[in-house]
Amino acid sequence: MPIGRRQWLCAAAAAAGGGLAQAASESPADQLLLGMSMNNLLSLDPAAATGLDAATVACNLYDSLLEVDAEDTTRLRPGLAQDWEIAAGGRRISLRLREGLRFASGRRIDAGDAAWSLQRVLALNLAPATVWKSYGFTKANAVMAIRTEDARTLTIDLLQATDPTLVLYTLATSMSAYVLDREAVLANERQGDLGNAWLTTHAAGSGAFELEVWRPKELLTMRRAARHWRAPARLRRVVFRHMTESQTLRLMLMRGDLDMAGGLSAPDVKALSRRPDLVVDSVRRGNLYYVAVNARHPRFADEPVRRAVLRHLIDFQGIVGSVLPFYGELHQRPVPPGLPASLSSPGYRLDVPMARRLLAEAGLADGFDTTIRVIAEAPFTGIATSLQSTLAQGGIRASILPGTGNQVYGAMRERSFEIVVGRGGGGAEAHPHSSLRALVYNPDNRDAARLTNFQGWRTGYADPTLNGLIERALLEPDAARQLDLYRQAQHRVDELVGGVQPIAQVLDTQVLRRAVKGYVGHPAGATRLREVYKEGV
Amino acid sequence: MKSAAIARGLASVAVTLLGLLLLTFLIGRVMPLDPVLAIVGPDADRSTYDQVHRQLGLDQPLTIQFWRYFSGLVAGDLGHALLTGSPVTTDLAGVLPATVELATLAMLIGTLLGIPLGVLAATQHRRWPDHLARVLGLLGHSTPVFWFGMMGLLVFYAWLGWAGGIGRIGLAFEGTVPRVTGLLSVDTLLAGDLVAFRSVLRHLLLPAGVLGLHSMAYLSRMTRAFMLAQLSQEYITTARVKGLTGWQVVWGHAFRNIRVQLLTILALAYGGLLEGAVLVETVFGWPGFGSYLTGSLLLGDMNAVMGSVLVIGVLFVALNLTADALYRVFDPRAQA
Repeated sequence: MPIGRRQWLCAAAAAAGGGLAQAASESPADQLLLGMSMNNLLSLDPAAATGLDAATVACNLYDSLLEVDAEDTTRLRPGLAQDWEIAAGGRRISLRLREGLRFASGRRIDAGDAAWSLQRVLALNLAPATVWKSYGFTKANAVMAIRTEDARTLTIDLLQATDPTLVLYTLATSMSAYVLDREAVLANERQGDLGNAWLTTHAAGSGAFELEVWRPKELLTMRRAARHWRAPARLRRVVFRHMTESQTLRLMLMRGDLDMAGGLSAPDVKALSRRPDLVVDSVRRGNLYYVAVNARHPRFADEPVRRAVLRHLIDFQGIVGSVLPFYGELHQRPVPPGLPASLSSPGYRLDVPMARRLLAEAGLADGFDTTIRVIAEAPFTGIATSLQSTLAQGGIRASILPGTGNQVYGAMRERSFEIVVGRGGGGAEAHPHSSLRALVYNPDNRDAARLTNFQGWRTGYADPTLNGLIERALLEPDAARQLDLYRQAQHRVDELVGGVQPIAQVLDTQVLRRAVKGYVGHPAGATRLREVYKEGV
Repeated sequence: MKSAAIARGLASVAVTLLGLLLLTFLIGRVMPLDPVLAIVGPDADRSTYDQVHRQLGLDQPLTIQFWRYFSGLVAGDLGHALLTGSPVTTDLAGVLPATVELATLAMLIGTLLGIPLGVLAATQHRRWPDHLARVLGLLGHSTPVFWFGMMGLLVFYAWLGWAGGIGRIGLAFEGTVPRVTGLLSVDTLLAGDLVAFRSVLRHLLLPAGVLGLHSMAYLSRMTRAFMLAQLSQEYITTARVKGLTGWQVVWGHAFRNIRVQLLTILALAYGGLLEGAVLVETVFGWPGFGSYLTGSLLLGDMNAVMGSVLVIGVLFVALNLTADALYRVFDPRAQA
């Protein structure tokens, strides 16, 4: 549009006025403005995306067959599927889709789209396929095992024995289980990539919002879907802005220019929690902060050394109290609170004399030199600093090696580390197997096995009895006996002192304006914004 | 003769850029960063990891990897970025205007304040304006720019409400302005959206001011030093004896003789702002070139890093060539 002289003059006047005027809040009533780090948001393709950032966005662009209740993550709720059943002695899951479902494109959703979406995950074999492969699915058997009975019925045959409830939880919580508009995706296929490149920055779902703009590490906006099969979302638009500086997030919240922010430092959250116009919302997540040692390393091969370091030279209570307020709650076992069979913490605490006794028994009365690998950001560096100090009290001289997540977990996957401060665990599925499998299960400890997705393998520690308990529990059909086996597995972890010691359950903390209503943070990261609205703005 | 000189110049530029690329490529392969992990995440299993490793061509020898990259480059293809999945050229076209907009205004502020301040300091040598300019220069140059940024946000955004907050435009306007040039101040005007234009200015002035003050400190110190050297020359004494006014002596004679030196540092300072505004970009959530390069480096996204380094190289070469061309305008000796 050509600009006339008058408009240029107006622009100049606006600029001059704008520099001096007291700014009003820039947050409109029908938009939700969120600030958060989008560093890890690399792809929106459900078959490729990983991490909490992607989960936060994708659950609003796509729908899954099932959902889990945000208040009680063991309770499954209908999603695109109105009902489901487990048949054939636990080896078959059937899901029946609702009627009248449509994608954002307007195309009708049928069971074929759901089957194809899952098959696509296995065909691409990217990170989200890992969980499906653990159930015995492969690219080769996916078409046979995941199929449609009719336009509304999806059938999944479980080819290897497992707990079908676990698979249902995966269907309800994993991004890989989102249902894609097959035609829209295939229309954008490039060199047989099943639309992977296109879906990195586009969406083809049926969620309450449609993707409007995405500029990686800058901005993502979503607009209300014109025809969602549920009631339309209450907000017209949602804006996610990439921001990493806690102080600037704090200032923007105080000014009313942001409605919600995540990733603030603990002191900033504490300061904001005193303001009447803001609310702090913390959600317990399914993963844990931990300290891990490499049991294959000569220093940590002896059980007494691991016991000294992991049980008696960590100031658990101090770390949770000073480093993790708003971001972690004390928990020292692999199955976090809120999950079935979770046990309360056994009460490990800093005990330097005991640690020194154990080290002396191991012939290390003078201590030794070691390294702590840690992601160079809060709260990991705070945990590592505390650990360095308490290890020194025990005579262990530790150097901290800060790095990116890539470097720290990369070294862990290569088993080329001594100590790591990290975060991990099952996370999504509200099932003890998910956590135990991720943290302590290790069916093959050989280097050649390269079970790099298991923390148990990475730390080079395996116990056949523990593995057996976890495997038996998974296949135990009786619920009470299954829970008992999971408790036994956790007691076994207490006895053994393997390579991983949980410190705290992860909390996801957001600060919201009090005017934001209907926000319910989801423990699995699938926080749907369809019911969110702003009051009195 | 002239065409031979141009050919020599072009060959020199090509060798410089090729060397830069080769060095960056080798450093990228030595760095303990794994681009595969950046894509598959820390919990992927072995088969997924190996598959992506192959897809990225990382199983090939370094020579073949570099040759493939170089062949693509010759055809104008800088490859795809891991972070965005988009061609690196598209990414750079998105982030460069943001930095150009910020750095150009910052440079303007720095130049308009820094050069007169430096001249004033030199002409008032060892008097209070000189002391003031030196203190300002010292503060501006030694205070971390991110601290300036944070303080600026606190005072002008949080307390006074004069400045916009984070980003290039108010959040509610994000994604609503059609991109034409990528310079939001221009695009909002082209769209005829004066409210958005005002929001852009409110967001632009503070970070540009912070960067500009940093540049001002450097430029004023350098200008002062250059001017002091000139003002002690005999031709200046002669000019004064001839009865020329102070203004004529300072601006007509001394300043004319430092223009070439100033051009050099202006070109370098502008280049530095274009590549090195990353701290200000981080504090102000400015989605610019520095942030893109830093983010790519941390991910081990070597296509993006190599593309960015190439752009930096080209920018510096272009700025130097521009400065060289201007030398000929300002310095008769260079025309010979």
